[in-house]
Amino acid sequence: MTTSILDIEHLSKSFGHKQVLKDVSFGVQAGHIIGLVGPNGAGKSTIMKAILGLFNYPEGKIMVDGEVVSPTSHQSMDEVGALIEYPGIYPFLTGYQHLHLFSKKTTSDTQVMDIVRKLRMDAYINRKAKTYSLGMKQKLGIALALVNNPRLVILDEPMNGLDPQSNKDLRNLILSYARSGTTFLISSHILSELEKLIDDIVVIDQGQIVYTQSMVTLESGSKKLLAFKTSDDVKASHILAQHGYQLDKSGGVSVIENGQNQMADMINLLTGNGINIEDVQHVHNDLETILLNLLKDDQVKGSK
Amino acid sequence: MITLVKQECFKLLHKSSTYISSATLLLLMTALGFLSKYYPGSWGKPEIQFVQLFAGIYWIPLFMIAACSSIIAMEFQYGTIKELLYRKYYRGQILISKWITMFLYSVYFFSVSLAWSLVIKAVLFNDTFKLSDQYNNQLTIIHANILIIIGSFLVLWMILSLVLLLANVFRSTATAISIGIVGYFGLYIIEGMMIKIMNRWEWLKWNPLNILNLPLQLTEPNADKVTLLSTPEMVGACLGYTIISLVLSYIVFKRRSV
Ligand SMILES: Nc1ncnc2c1ncn2[C@@H]1O[C@H](COP(=O)(O)OP(=O)(O)OP(=O)(O)O)[C@@H](O)[C@H]1O
Ligand SMILES: [Mg+2]
Repeated sequence: MTTSILDIEHLSKSFGHKQVLKDVSFGVQAGHIIGLVGPNGAGKSTIMKAILGLFNYPEGKIMVDGEVVSPTSHQSMDEVGALIEYPGIYPFLTGYQHLHLFSKKTTSDTQVMDIVRKLRMDAYINRKAKTYSLGMKQKLGIALALVNNPRLVILDEPMNGLDPQSNKDLRNLILSYARSGTTFLISSHILSELEKLIDDIVVIDQGQIVYTQSMVTLESGSKKLLAFKTSDDVKASHILAQHGYQLDKSGGVSVIENGQNQMADMINLLTGNGINIEDVQHVHNDLETILLNLLKDDQVKGSK
Repeated sequence: MITLVKQECFKLLHKSSTYISSATLLLLMTALGFLSKYYPGSWGKPEIQFVQLFAGIYWIPLFMIAACSSIIAMEFQYGTIKELLYRKYYRGQILISKWITMFLYSVYFFSVSLAWSLVIKAVLFNDTFKLSDQYNNQLTIIHANILIIIGSFLVLWMILSLVLLLANVFRSTATAISIGIVGYFGLYIIEGMMIKIMNRWEWLKWNPLNILNLPLQLTEPNADKVTLLSTPEMVGACLGYTIISLVLSYIVFKRRSV
């Protein structure tokens, strides 16, 4: 039986006359890493702020670890760590002093230094934060979210400003926390990074959830194509179809891969019929393509 | 709550401005000590300067206005307000912990200023006057000194409560501090005119500017002829204004979106 650590039901929120969240509902299973994606201004940060009890919402219910969260009900926040939009940092304190300031009594110094080491912040952790670069501040923000070993971690664009090595460090860190049972809700526009991390995806557009799915289902549902560029595309398509290969309608000569058809056979077939092959490519729908298609469909739906 | 106050003190103790203001205060007081020793004619009699903590009672409000503006406004400026608010504490607790910290800070300033005044007195004016000498017909010097400190402290908090309210409105520390300090000087300028107007409309005696005269009233027996208020009335009004501003800033802070 799976337990859910975060439950959002029918959440709505307006700023003035502008409705920013419309009837948002989703649940998060303990130990999972959830990706929250959507265009700029879709309402990702707003959802995260609501989960942290930062503002009142007129409708809906947010439960963290079985307890309702609102500005006047914060008990479950003790088990939550967060980085929202950009890290809040006091320029006159050092990185270490920040971690010390926000760490709980139960958090030992070894735990603090462990996080510092894993994010490779040793070299500057005792320098004042006003001397930090963008990425250094970002890492400090991530460290602050993780330092108390929370059960639920909310990260808004955590890869912002990180170099490739730090990105990898962060990924390993998140994965190792997740293995020990920590739940993550992560928003990011860097889908190629996000793809390597998340178990489930929640897509939001214009304040509405348009799609929730597990990554396994999402990936198995997407088509893998083999795209040919030949001297005579019309003839090539015709011959391949005759021999029982399934062609994709997207244009060009694209065969849908099903695990049985062999590239070598197809090449032999085409060259045998006097067709020159100029290029062959595996086309794999990544998260970005899937997402863009999804949002395109959604806009079509919305405009109807 | 104690944890929150400790956190606020930790931040205060790691800001260089904290040390700079303390050092500046002591320097300014020492300078005035020397001036009134060598030029008592133009810089005031040493007894009077001692009673006013060598102008400490005028400088402390400036430093405290700056500190109170920044303790609220900096959280919005640095974006650390989210960091504070999402934890298990409530908004009200966060705000009150800041007030308590500032209260402790103001007590610290007055204590340091009094201690330093005693040092200046012992070093520069050991033979000039004794603390037990008469200050005026009714009070000894030390007695007047204590009354001035109490009066200044009450008035200071009336001003600070207003500053704490205004600091909620500004998102930058620099704006909050400048407006606080300019306003402080403005108050004393308008105050002179206010006394004249009060003679025409008596109810105006309850205005907050008149309450700024509290330290004077405590030491000058005839001051109530000018202020038109008795001492208990003045103390009551001072506390009343302080409480009103604090309640308002509590409401504003609780409703403010981050
Ligand atoms: N304090 C506020 N007052 C008014 N409108 C706001 C406020 N905060 C957010 N909004 C609006 O709410 C909508 C959602 O904002 P939000 O910050 O949640 O978007 P997002 O999905 O995080 O976008 P991004 O990818 O750019 O970070 C936007 O249209 C924004 O204009
Ligand atoms: Mg955002």
